[in-house]
Amino acid sequence: MIGETREKEIYEVLQEARRSIEEDGKLLSKVYNESSIFDLEVKRIFSKTWVFLAHESEIPWSGDYVLRRIVDDSFIVTRDEDGDIHVLFNMCRHRGMQLCRSDAGNSSHFRCPYHGYTYQNTGKLNGVPFQKEAYGPEGLDKDEWAMTPAPRMEIYEGMIFASLNPDVQPLEEYIGDMGWYLDFYLKKSSAGLEVVGPPQRWIMPADWKLAAENFIGDGYHTQSTHMSTIKAGIMRVKSPAYLKEGVQITAGKHGCLFMGFKPGSYFNYPQGIVDSMLENLNEDQVELLKEESIMPLNATVFPNTSFLHSAMAVEAEGELATSVPYLTIRVWQPMGPGKMEIWSWCLVEKDATEEFKKNSNRAYLSTFGASGTLEQDDAENWSGQTRVAAGEMSGQHYLNYSAGAKHVEPIPEGEWPGPGTAYPKNYVDFAQRHFWQTYFDHLLDDRNGS
Amino acid sequence: MMLDTSVETYWEVYSFLMHEAELLDERRERDWLELFTDDAEYLMPVRVNRERAEGDGFSDEAYYFEETRGSLELRVRRLETEYAWAEDPPSRTRHFVTNVRVAEGEEEDEVAVRTNLLLYRSRGSDPKHDLLSAERKDTLRKEDGQWKLRKRVILLDHSVLTTHNLSVFL
Repeated sequence: MIGETREKEIYEVLQEARRSIEEDGKLLSKVYNESSIFDLEVKRIFSKTWVFLAHESEIPWSGDYVLRRIVDDSFIVTRDEDGDIHVLFNMCRHRGMQLCRSDAGNSSHFRCPYHGYTYQNTGKLNGVPFQKEAYGPEGLDKDEWAMTPAPRMEIYEGMIFASLNPDVQPLEEYIGDMGWYLDFYLKKSSAGLEVVGPPQRWIMPADWKLAAENFIGDGYHTQSTHMSTIKAGIMRVKSPAYLKEGVQITAGKHGCLFMGFKPGSYFNYPQGIVDSMLENLNEDQVELLKEESIMPLNATVFPNTSFLHSAMAVEAEGELATSVPYLTIRVWQPMGPGKMEIWSWCLVEKDATEEFKKNSNRAYLSTFGASGTLEQDDAENWSGQTRVAAGEMSGQHYLNYSAGAKHVEPIPEGEWPGPGTAYPKNYVDFAQRHFWQTYFDHLLDDRNGS
Repeated sequence: MMLDTSVETYWEVYSFLMHEAELLDERRERDWLELFTDDAEYLMPVRVNRERAEGDGFSDEAYYFEETRGSLELRVRRLETEYAWAEDPPSRTRHFVTNVRVAEGEEEDEVAVRTNLLLYRSRGSDPKHDLLSAERKDTLRKEDGQWKLRKRVILLDHSVLTTHNLSVFL
């Protein structure tokens, strides 16, 4: 009875919270750090949507594998002898022992330490010690006891996603209109992208949603949060309000923010990449690059995968004191209410020069990742927001998500070349509100039970 | 002639390291920067949990820090602004530097130094602290009679960092 009452209460609170963000542009601060909704997030978001696990270039060779998670579900992402990719539950079918305990490597087989069941990297059960003694003369039905694959696995432009939901829509359809914007990150070169080594990983006492909502479109914070990097000459911009003008996008469950660049400079990408970018992207995309001189800066693919494309100084003097471009993809992995593990990759065009790859990675390191001079301050904010939202009464406060609501209209159809909805300003909250609406829609959707 | 690693050298190196830790714990980053040579390298590779046969798991591509004197300068400049929120109010840190081993360096005016580092970090009024543990492999060079840090490689004992950011130096 207590459980039912509690569930009803949570449901009512969430319904009111959804109404409030939609109609009033106000968000209940409790959702930044609330244990009673964390289970709902796991069941109704992370068990329902697509979640990014790994980039293909992390496992380029047959036998390569990496360990990844969807919340607490552990997976081995493998490339088999035929080059095919598998996402397999990292759990022996016999007694549930964690099958693989190394975070990356190369192996054609996984052998359980407990009783010695051995599986191929396709998931097929190969060996069972003392099979006849244990299971009789006919042995064990090895097909029945193969490793369990993730219910769904699909690859989008080199990005390996999995879903715990067997009925999830195809990945291409899930990304949908957002694909048009992701092209700017993922398709600059026809050779594709590769990761620069393994991801940075670190733990932050901050809620995953705060990072996801920041990356979906928070251009407004840059003039305050990142002021130190402007003053220090890391972010080479003329004014702290450099991100005021731009375009904010909502597309499907996702969104992004465009940033302007000096005409013809293309975020300072080397000529080779600029050439291939202008060749690989479609006419409408190229028009934005050439005529409007804008490119997506940050983006979030719901729920917890974000992109950042920027250009920053690496050195105090010399050639690298100008803006050097880079791309990072990150996962905000929930570890519980108000706590996440961040996974952060730097990616470079495969056909870029070795020198560019190195400099680009250094520009990323100097600004993003655990030591990044911008991300350090994001961490301070997200941890602080999470900390104070835990208060019984401060959790009842409503926060302001109303920027743009009174005076900014979407760009009329026909005047913006891309799909989704485009807003002609960056200091607005449309994408963030869209993120929270999508979030509440998931939490309140009980079609498949709780 | 290679530098000897006599008691005198050991004592100089030890004193250098203690002084360096003091500068970091006293938040004197600008003075700390002066300890580096102009061609300094400051590296902290990502470490991946690997099987024993695969080695120690340190990446030679992915880093938490891949710095030169020029990029450390930018980091220090940022901390000197009024807007470095991550360190204002500052972390309270204590660099515990132990197990100091001094050997001959590759160049005649250099020594190779290995130390263990335990970094205690406390922030705000949070009763919980962060601890980072690492081995540091340093190359110290004598320039104009002064020891300088030519290269530092910080070899973490973590595959996942247990602190919310790296706004402090190791």
